[in-house]
Amino acid sequence: MEVEQKLVERIRLGESDAWTDLIGRYDGRLLAYVSRRLQNRSAAEDIVQETFIGFLNSLPNYDGRRPLESYLFSIASHKLTDHLRREGRRPAIPLSGASSNHSEWQLAGNHRGASSIARSDERRVIEEHALRDALKKQVEYWRERNDWLKIKCLELIIVRGWSNKLAAEQMGISQQKVASIKHDFVKALTRSVRSQGLPEEVFPELYEDDESNTTKQGTPESNSGAAGGGEDKSSENKMEKDN
Amino acid sequence: MTKHYSVSEIEAYLDEALEPDQMTAIEASLRDDSQLIGQFAEVISRRDAGIHSLGEIWRRNRISCPSREDLGSYLLNVLSAEHQLYVQFHLETVNCRYCLANLDDLKQRQLGSDKGHSARRKRYFESSAGYLQRDN
Repeated sequence: MEVEQKLVERIRLGESDAWTDLIGRYDGRLLAYVSRRLQNRSAAEDIVQETFIGFLNSLPNYDGRRPLESYLFSIASHKLTDHLRREGRRPAIPLSGASSNHSEWQLAGNHRGASSIARSDERRVIEEHALRDALKKQVEYWRERNDWLKIKCLELIIVRGWSNKLAAEQMGISQQKVASIKHDFVKALTRSVRSQGLPEEVFPELYEDDESNTTKQGTPESNSGAAGGGEDKSSENKMEKDN
Repeated sequence: MTKHYSVSEIEAYLDEALEPDQMTAIEASLRDDSQLIGQFAEVISRRDAGIHSLGEIWRRNRISCPSREDLGSYLLNVLSAEHQLYVQFHLETVNCRYCLANLDDLKQRQLGSDKGHSARRKRYFESSAGYLQRDN
């Protein structure tokens, strides 16, 4: 991270050697990312070229605390999406496709509708960073203890959006165990968010188990009794103590 | 029969983060599946309203991604057995597109099979260096 920051600082000063260095470090992985989606090598190289130009154009707004690789991948994904739209491969999503009762997303229970809690982009970034830091802290804790089972389990449920049942089958453990892992995890995150005074309305997944389960979020993970099936083993979760 | 996609998968599609076969399957469905279009519209509407999603934040910030050094060690098979299995799981079951891209790149570098990289990098530099002198 420190190396990246220094590299970016030198690029901001207009040092061409630093720019050459950045291209050499990142072009291969960016090209691999784009090429996995496009069969056309020449088009893939053009998209990476646009990505580098896009990076320099956006440099005044780049927050050096953000990992450089993630930032470059996000620019590449936008350039790739634009390319696929131009090619007619990626259909536009008409927002009118939402049924009338979904056109404004509603939160469960007594929470206000999302549109009623309008806030600045800066505020949203602060909220995301707070949750990101809590997530990192938890995963790092497990990683240090080689507790790969919990990380795998949550990757399936949260990143892939699998149900507890599917995750349990994949991992070869009981649904109750999966539910317990998720429950402890969500509880720790919830505590972290609350302790920072962040609005609960914008993190509905952290509070869905508190509600009467009439939410319209449609997340498959909410359909498998995550809270009900698991024992509260939060005393096992050291992160909660840390918080 | 309409395939059900999770909210996490829809968000990953919108961020161009799913593996290509999944991206293509969703693109095909989006052409005539009104239910899926409705699901997408709902997710987009929710995003626009500033609702945070755990999956989105996890993926965007690459919370559990192995480092590039770990991916290199994975290729050399020098991680501990459990760690090796975890990285394999992250690549093959979670299908992390960013880590798969890193792995492809590391393999190419290891094999020295990317013969055109010098000319390509030179072209990238020449096409972008003009933007360097701006007040960044």
